[in-house]
Amino acid sequence: MDPKVAANLGAAFAMGIGSIGPGLGIGMGVRAAMEAIGRNPEAADRLFTPMIVGLGLAEAVAIYCLVTALALIFVGGG
Amino acid sequence: MLGKLFGIEFHEISMGAEKLFYLGPIPITNTILTTWVVMVLLVTLAFVVRKRISLIPGALQSIVEMVIETVYNLVKNIAGERVGNIIFPLIMTLFLFILTANWLGLLPGFGTITYHHVPIFRPPNSDLNTTLAMALITVFLVQVAGIAYRGLKGYLKEFVTPPILAPLMAPIHLVSELSHILSLSARLFGNIFGGDVVLTVIFVMLPPLIPAVFLLLESLFGLIQAIIFAVLSTIYFSMATAAHEAEH
Repeated sequence: MDPKVAANLGAAFAMGIGSIGPGLGIGMGVRAAMEAIGRNPEAADRLFTPMIVGLGLAEAVAIYCLVTALALIFVGGG
Repeated sequence: MLGKLFGIEFHEISMGAEKLFYLGPIPITNTILTTWVVMVLLVTLAFVVRKRISLIPGALQSIVEMVIETVYNLVKNIAGERVGNIIFPLIMTLFLFILTANWLGLLPGFGTITYHHVPIFRPPNSDLNTTLAMALITVFLVQVAGIAYRGLKGYLKEFVTPPILAPLMAPIHLVSELSHILSLSARLFGNIFGGDVVLTVIFVMLPPLIPAVFLLLESLFGLIQAIIFAVLSTIYFSMATAAHEAEH
């Protein structure tokens, strides 16, 4: 296979498969936060920052995939 | 140096920062130039606010006080008052620098104003060198704080707990400390560089209204990434110093 094609294919798979886990994680995190706010609406302000930080951590995994994919596209394959 | 997408030319996206000119043997890249702009902005703001400081705050002073107070309370809640007071200047500096750099990078002119086909400005955090430098400073100071609070013996003891599994646990502890550098720097770099790439592609593909939505998203991400960097650094500091207080 042509290295350029292989690099692009690798980038596509890295991003596609790599987004599954973070997507699930972010969904679960937001669901838990929404349930908590539904039960106790006053806690919304205090929940917001920890939720954002947690989402950022979950999102970071997808970002690593993004960095890998971008590196493959722009640098990999020669 | 022009890339082509759907038949439309735009400045080529490259992963590393582009060199603008040389200062002696040191190449000056466009991210360094933008970093200087951010520094000038922040230092000027600091001097202006300091000169006009008063008991009854004006509009500018109120905003600055609000930002500082929010971050201070965040740091204090995570690390406690004693440790929080010591590390707050560092965390605040990191937060302000990252936030200013991220938001400055969204202004028009970034990537479009070129000099010899090289963009003059580029968001500082879209260069791995910038984020890596900040991560190295933070993680190094976390180790210093660990030694200062626990003593050298207590700090080294942390690497061999539990003692029975010392040969196995020492490399794991070491790698987990080093992985902080990677996670802090790669997260910020990936977010900002990825955002930059997405914005460029969307601007080429779907002008002119759709990019506004992405600009809004990116400005939100810029703030969130600044908060995450600050909060994570604070958590690392409090982890390095908290065990000491738990022992007593």
